Parts: sequence; structure tokens; C-alpha cells
Amino acid sequence: MSASVDGQATIAFEPLVADGPHRYAVKLPVFEGPLDLLLHLIRINEVDVHDIPVARIAEQYVAYLELMRELNLEIAGEYLLMAATLAWIKSRMLLPREEEAAEAEEVDPRAELVARLLEYQAFKEAAGELDGRPRLGRDVFRAEVGAPGECPTPEPELAVRVLDLVEAYRRVVEQQAEPPAPHELSHEPVTVRECMLAVMARLERDEVVSFEDLLAVEQARGGRRAWMVAAFLAVLELARWEALLLYQGVDEEGVPTGTIRVRRGPEADTGHWRDAISEVM
Amino acid sequence: MDRDAQRRIVEALIAGSPEPVSAARLAQIVPEANASRIRELVAELNAHYEETGHALEVWEVAGGYQLRTRIAFAPYLQALQPRRRVRLSHAALETLAVVAYRQPVTRAEIERIRGVEAGPVLRGLIERGLVRIRGHREVPGRPLLYGTTDHFLEVFGLADLKDLPTLRDLRELAAGEAASEDAPPEAEAAPAPRDPEEPLPGPHELH
Repeated sequence: MSASVDGQATIAFEPLVADGPHRYAVKLPVFEGPLDLLLHLIRINEVDVHDIPVARIAEQYVAYLELMRELNLEIAGEYLLMAATLAWIKSRMLLPREEEAAEAEEVDPRAELVARLLEYQAFKEAAGELDGRPRLGRDVFRAEVGAPGECPTPEPELAVRVLDLVEAYRRVVEQQAEPPAPHELSHEPVTVRECMLAVMARLERDEVVSFEDLLAVEQARGGRRAWMVAAFLAVLELARWEALLLYQGVDEEGVPTGTIRVRRGPEADTGHWRDAISEVM
Repeated sequence: MDRDAQRRIVEALIAGSPEPVSAARLAQIVPEANASRIRELVAELNAHYEETGHALEVWEVAGGYQLRTRIAFAPYLQALQPRRRVRLSHAALETLAVVAYRQPVTRAEIERIRGVEAGPVLRGLIERGLVRIRGHREVPGRPLLYGTTDHFLEVFGLADLKDLPTLRDLRELAAGEAASEDAPPEAEAAPAPRDPEEPLPGPHELH
């Protein structure tokens, strides 16, 4: 069973031999995006990428989107944008060519798309080649001598046990217990992002702060508890970006013990953590 | 110190260092050896491993030497550590390829090339330590610039970025002929101005 356009089978899906009309295995080729889909259509239509029959390709492209919609698959915005682009190109190719002077440059309305397709294809191939290389952890492995797996050896004075972190958090929660408040509308509670900024600002003032100190606060929008949760997450996230470091003392046996402290980390000044909040979070 | 003794020390140092260790660094430790001698010794070591049918070999990755198991033994090692997850999706690989060849590159540039959003994939690659933030492009908006890490070189077995296979010339792809090939990444003229605070990339920066 297949969906065909223009007499040529483009997408195939097969029924699962099973119980009832609703069990179908859909073998839909998976595409990485509209460019990938277009390359596929160009290939199976066996046309020259420099002379794409836009009308035909656009029709099949839209048919594919229709199929996705029928199967209740989510269609990312980029696919729709490309559909519009194809329609635009098609319309330009239909417009009568103006008779200009001999040197008038005719810009092929497909030119930009073709350039993008070729560029994408180059990287798609490059990705395939990268994948084919012997990969550390899949095909080849470090000959480890004694050292434990992938984790870099932590410096003894910087090791903090997760249990201790959670324990510290629990202590602060207990101390900060608020009486149950009458139900009232409150402002939107403080966000993790705000906490991250506040924590880093505090670390700029005081070189070293205890972890519990960062969690405890007199007043916060949305309540102290909201602050504690947000601050806890903020500290973890900042630690991940190495904007701050968490550490504890170590006893004679090398077991972490004592107050957990926080200080500025190597990435605190680069500000990359700050940019990452806006870019990626 | 005789050559044999030097070579054994080199072997011990490379074996004892999980991170790639450079010839220069080895030359500092091995008595009476300079970088050039180190390179010879490593070659001899590998020849020795080859002749005696060792399961190990020395690779040159990320500007240094690293002792690794041979590819042939992959199935056994996978059986030993089944939890390891180094699967990279097509999207991740494509994004990684764009970053590797076009660095420093902004997210918008990546999205333009791939035709899809890059944010979540980039975050994943950063978490895996394959991509890092290299600064900003000094244009309105000051978008972040991304580049690959030394760990990327290590994972994909590259001595440095110049080792990346050349990107196929776009015309060549269309015509199907063997046309001239694109220059390797570092040699490409980077039209984007560099952030003056970012040091120029060396062949390998340990981070």
C-alpha cells in the first residue's frame, strides 16, 4: 500500500498483519528537515538538482506533508516555510520573462534553493563520514590503567556528595518553615534564571558563601520555599556550567564532611553561563 | 639512557594518562629526549605492538598520544560495558559537522544550513563535551559562537582540525566529477570578525 503522486510511488507504508483495521506499521522514511526531504524527492525522481522541475517536486512535497497530517504527525514550522518557498519559486517560474537588454541577468528563482540543497548535502555527507570513523567509546576504547571511567579525577577538597547537598537543603527547609498562609493570589514565583543571576551577584560580593546561606532568604516573591527550590536548581545549573564550585572539607579518611561552601568557578567571568541561559534554556 | 629504556618510559606514560599527552610534554619527562625522538619512539612502540599482535595501539588525537584498544575488539568491549551510550543522532552528527567545518559559527548559521532548529541539539552536544561556546560575533545581537572541543577530536580520532576530511566541493557533488576540493576548515577565510578577547585557536587547546 502506498501513497503515490503523479503515478510514481513516493511513500510506502505497510499494514501489520494483525487484529483489526487499526493496526498499521507505518514505514515512513524519516527526514531531518525540509532540505532532507527535498533531496530525497530529487533523488527518487532522478532529476538534475540544477534543473529541478519545481511544479512536480512541489506537488510531491505537499503530498508528503498531507500524509504527515493524515497520520497525525507533527509538522514542524520549517516544513511549512519550505512549502511556501516552493510555491513562490513556482510562481516566479511561471511569470512571463521580460524582454530586457541582451545583458540583462536572469536570476534563476531556483538558484538560492539549489545552493542551499547542495550545501546541506555536503554536510549530510560529512556527517556520515564522521559517523563512520572509529569512535571512542563505540569502536575503540582507552586502555585505562587504574583510572576510573570517564570522570576526571576530582580534587579531594572539591568533592561534594549529593547526599550532603540534599541534607543541607533539608536543614534549610526545616529552619525556614513558614506558617501555612491563608490562600491568596501571589505574584509569579521567582524563576531559576533570576536565582542564577542573584547567586552569581552574591558570589561577586562575597568570595565564599555557604550553600545553606544561598538558600535561606528573608523574603522572596512567591514565598521563601519557592526561592529555596529555585536557588537549589540554580546552584546545580551554575555548577554544571562551572560558573561556581561546590566544595566541602575532607576528613582523615578522605570522606567529605562539614559545611558545603560555594565559590566562583572558572567560567564565572567568561559569562558564557549567562549567555547560555538566554540561548538555550 | 638507551633507546629501549626511553621507549618503555614513553609506553608507561602514555598508558598511565587517560587524556592524550603531547610529544612536548613527554619530552619534558623522558630523560634525554626531545619531541622528535618521542615521535620516533612512539612509532617504534606501535610497530612493536603490531609485530607482537598486541590488542592495543597508540593513536594521535587532540594533539597528543593515547593508548587504545584495536577496533577488532570492539564487540568484546561493548559486551563488557553495555551501559555506555555514545549514540549520536543524525541531527546531532549533521550539526556537529557544520560546527566542525564552519567554526566559529552561530546558531542561526547552523539553522540556515540545516533548515531546522538547532537549539536542543546544540545543548546536547555541549553537554556531551563535543561543542563549546567560543565567544560572540561582534554584530548587533552579539550571537554566541560555537566551536568543537578537544574532546571532539579525541572521540573522532582526529589529531587536530586539519585532519578533518575535506568538505566536498559543492559543484563536484552536483556534477558528479572529481572537481577541486574545498580547503580544510582552519584555512577557510573566516568572514566573521573574531571576538578580540578570544585567543586565536591553536592546533590544540587543552580545556
